[in-house]
Amino acid sequence: MSFEVPDDLRYMESHEWTSTDDGSVRIGITDFAQDELGDVVFVELPGEGDEVTHGEEFGVVESIKAVSDLYSPVSGTVTAVNEDLFDQPELVNEDPFGDGWMLEVDPSDRDALDELLSADEYRDQIE
Amino acid sequence: MYDQARFTQNGEYEPLLSEKDSTKVEVGGDDSPLPDDLTRDSLELPELSEPELARHYTRLSQMNYGVETGPYPLGSCTMKYNPKFTEDVAADPNAAIHPDRSERSMQGTLEMLYHLQDYLGRIGGMDAVTLQPPAGAAGEFTGILVAKAYHEAQGNERSEVIIPASAHGTNFATAAMAGYDVVELPSGDDGRVDLDALEAAVSEDTAALMLTNPNTVGLFERDITEIAEMVHDVGGLLYYDGANLNALLGRARPGDMGFDIMHYNVHKTFATPHGGGGPGAGPVGVVDELAEFLSSPQVRRNDGGFELFDPEHSIGKVHGFYGNWLVLVKAYAYIARLGDEGLEDASAKAVLNANYLGSQIEYDIPYGPFHHEFAATSGEQDAADVAKRMLDYGVHPPTTKWPEMVPEAMLTEPTEVENRETLDDLATAFNAAHGEDDETLEHAPNKTTARRIDQVSAARNPRLSWHALGDADE
Amino acid sequence: MTRHEQGSPYAPHTSEETAAMLDVVGVDSEEALFDIPDDVAFTGEFGIDSRGERELRGELSRLFAKNDDLTEFLGRGHYDHYVPSLVDNLSLRSEFLTSYTQYQPEITQGFLQVLFEYQSMLVELTGLPIANCSMYDAATGIAEAARLANRVRQASGTTVLVPETLRAGKYGVVENYVGGTDLTLDSYPMDDGNVDVDALADAVGDDTVMVYVENPTVRGAIEENLADIGELVHDEDALFCLGSDVVALSLLEEPASVGADVVVGEAEVLGLPTSFGMGLGIFATREDYLRQVPGRLVGISEDASDRRAYTLTLQTREQHIRKERATSNICTNQAWVALRAAIHAASLGPSGLVDLAEDCVRDAAELAARLDDVSGIQAPVHDRHHFREFVAHTDQPAAAVAEDLEAEGFAVHVVGEHEIQVCVTETNADHVDALVAAFEEVA
Repeated sequence: MSFEVPDDLRYMESHEWTSTDDGSVRIGITDFAQDELGDVVFVELPGEGDEVTHGEEFGVVESIKAVSDLYSPVSGTVTAVNEDLFDQPELVNEDPFGDGWMLEVDPSDRDALDELLSADEYRDQIE
Repeated sequence: MYDQARFTQNGEYEPLLSEKDSTKVEVGGDDSPLPDDLTRDSLELPELSEPELARHYTRLSQMNYGVETGPYPLGSCTMKYNPKFTEDVAADPNAAIHPDRSERSMQGTLEMLYHLQDYLGRIGGMDAVTLQPPAGAAGEFTGILVAKAYHEAQGNERSEVIIPASAHGTNFATAAMAGYDVVELPSGDDGRVDLDALEAAVSEDTAALMLTNPNTVGLFERDITEIAEMVHDVGGLLYYDGANLNALLGRARPGDMGFDIMHYNVHKTFATPHGGGGPGAGPVGVVDELAEFLSSPQVRRNDGGFELFDPEHSIGKVHGFYGNWLVLVKAYAYIARLGDEGLEDASAKAVLNANYLGSQIEYDIPYGPFHHEFAATSGEQDAADVAKRMLDYGVHPPTTKWPEMVPEAMLTEPTEVENRETLDDLATAFNAAHGEDDETLEHAPNKTTARRIDQVSAARNPRLSWHALGDADE
Repeated sequence: MTRHEQGSPYAPHTSEETAAMLDVVGVDSEEALFDIPDDVAFTGEFGIDSRGERELRGELSRLFAKNDDLTEFLGRGHYDHYVPSLVDNLSLRSEFLTSYTQYQPEITQGFLQVLFEYQSMLVELTGLPIANCSMYDAATGIAEAARLANRVRQASGTTVLVPETLRAGKYGVVENYVGGTDLTLDSYPMDDGNVDVDALADAVGDDTVMVYVENPTVRGAIEENLADIGELVHDEDALFCLGSDVVALSLLEEPASVGADVVVGEAEVLGLPTSFGMGLGIFATREDYLRQVPGRLVGISEDASDRRAYTLTLQTREQHIRKERATSNICTNQAWVALRAAIHAASLGPSGLVDLAEDCVRDAAELAARLDDVSGIQAPVHDRHHFREFVAHTDQPAAAVAEDLEAEGFAVHVVGEHEIQVCVTETNADHVDALVAAFEEVA
């Protein structure tokens, strides 16, 4: 089975992705992660204005049989939360890099983004 | 083959009570003995006649499965036959007393509790026993509180409890509830405790090691003496999870293996009914040195009778009163009915049945020699699907996907109460599923009241009372 | 009689079958199946004699007959209401009694539906949208509520406030359950049987995590200021936990309407006779705390034939999935007692429940008035409405009065040097005349 790993994103070993846009970056979990979890039934996220820290927990994603912590790829302030996930957690399964995004964060240290895994490096990890 | 009862009406199964009737009664008013500001406004519940209710609950019972319906080989759950007479004993009107009576007026009750404490002590090799914990998990909590009190009395607060990765989830939750950090111990290649890993895990911070023996794949921890020494050498205590005691009755006792604290699961070992999720009872036994910390009160003999007393440095209460009394009566009656020979034979037949069944199924069993239960693997098949398919063959399936050390585990414990013919039926169910394709498995069950139930929809859209029903249908 | 010659009467094997099975397994004896090192093998005896069923029933019947034959006027958290025969007959059906937790919902729809109906009844009684399948008893319910309050708390506080009159057993359980957290227990004063609202207002502050209030109180008084209490607790962002029981809830103010965040208490008042304190803990709460609820929840789903079906749900809260991060270690609860309580509640129906609860008020008032007429007794001590029970003042030392009453065949509580407590329900109401006569003798 092959999983989608968009080239323009950066990745955590714990299967979170982040965009590298100017301004706020988007954060979510990967196609591989959603497949491992199975049907997502619940997502718990911080609120707008909350601070997240690189490598630390920012939320929880649950399937029927498993609970996974979410680790932030960046440090910064949450500027947007995907509230659609509260009613439609299945978006994480259906479109993990699109409608299933979780947070937008204004990073406090953009250089840290370069230290994350590239798409190729992440692909190596999950293969 | 097998078909479970299935009542349907208007395209649905047996209606809810609230769909049969919903009556709103106004509360308060002129006839009320209370002023209106102290009462609720109304109460809306079903108002049905006795025959209507009798039919409702009888139908629901027929849409359920118990030990008397068929075999129930849930590994680590020990679903065995519950002797009928124990219900009659527990229903004795002279035993139906209030807990706040004077001790002198409840001598019969105290005497039975005293003897049960004594019996359990002998069976587990423990010096003192409390009967108060109302379930196995509550027993674990009580036991860990005793360990904590002991360490604190030594002026030696410790922060960690070590638990094998394959242990029951309650062990982890219990240690955390008591305020300990959990140190998870990986299993060795042979399925037992890895002594090197244990050596690395134990320290001056170790409050206790919680262990099940035989462990959760049915293996006896052969190195138990070394394990006990390693834990005791750093000043830690050894805790025995009694979930698998049904394998060892009369052949090995936790107290003799070096355990300091244990809980008994009276439903698993002493055949009290599980009741679809309780009530249980989780008595806790300890060695002499820890007796002063047990929960209060305990029962002891005095001049010519029995009395309650509080152990000197008791951890206090773990239940509002004395625990699940009715369950304790049934456990006592079972132990007394079996006696030494019966208890020993129960374990022998439980282990024989597991080994016989294990020899008759086509699935691999990676770890052995096992005792009262084995963990087979469904390999490429999804164990949960295999279980659903087994329902179609008229048996309850084993515990699935646990413990995780066996991939796609099917933890199977037939218990001593099944005869060879039933074990063969179980094997037939296993082997039939073994030969079937994924599609057949995924479409099972077909013979049960309900077909495969969508767990995802239940969790994504929680509807937890009949009040939520309207919302869902809109 | 079993063909099994010796050993467990509940293992069906004949010796021929045993031998044949051993042969299939490939060993000579049962002993060979045990992998137990010699140094830990048990070679002794328990010394427990096996008794026959008839023998044992006689033995236990004689044993329990050693309990004195007393008419109990006892309550304080454990109550006796008449349990209809319907409850025993249906609950003893073995498909219910001998089943396991519903981990295979397709084959256990019946029990799941009963538990769903039980949850629904509690939702109606409390006005709160979430009720679990049960806690062990009222005491562990308060304790779990405190642990929930700790998980959801907004402020930095650590104090859990309970009434100064809280039963020692409950206090002790809560103390043990919060022992692994940084919570501390403190009590607030009562005033003439009700919460001293002014004193509580002083006690509640930004360090308060939860306030526990009982209605009716352990001394039988009906609480008159619940709405005010709810407001002052919420003003400090603390959790308002209300303790009651299912009969009282049928009549008294609906907890949700006075701002309760969690309702705990006993449902054992229905379904079980007096059982030496065995309980059935209620746990109901608001939607906000759904994922923090301890214990089991049954929810609705659909099956492959698109019919409504029931299943245990939100299990990621529980120990078998979340392990050390579970909301509680509870797994086995009091499911069968919940089934009995649900059948009992259904058999009473809403009118029966309200009638029963109103009788609890009337009978207590009537008995208090009659005892008040007895010389040497003043009842009730608190100038309040009462539910089932009340405290009476005795001019004589209370312990002596109780002892004399016991000699006359009656059990009452001693709750102070000159205070006794008396509980009346339909199960002892027929003995009220005799009780009053006995009081006249001894008071």
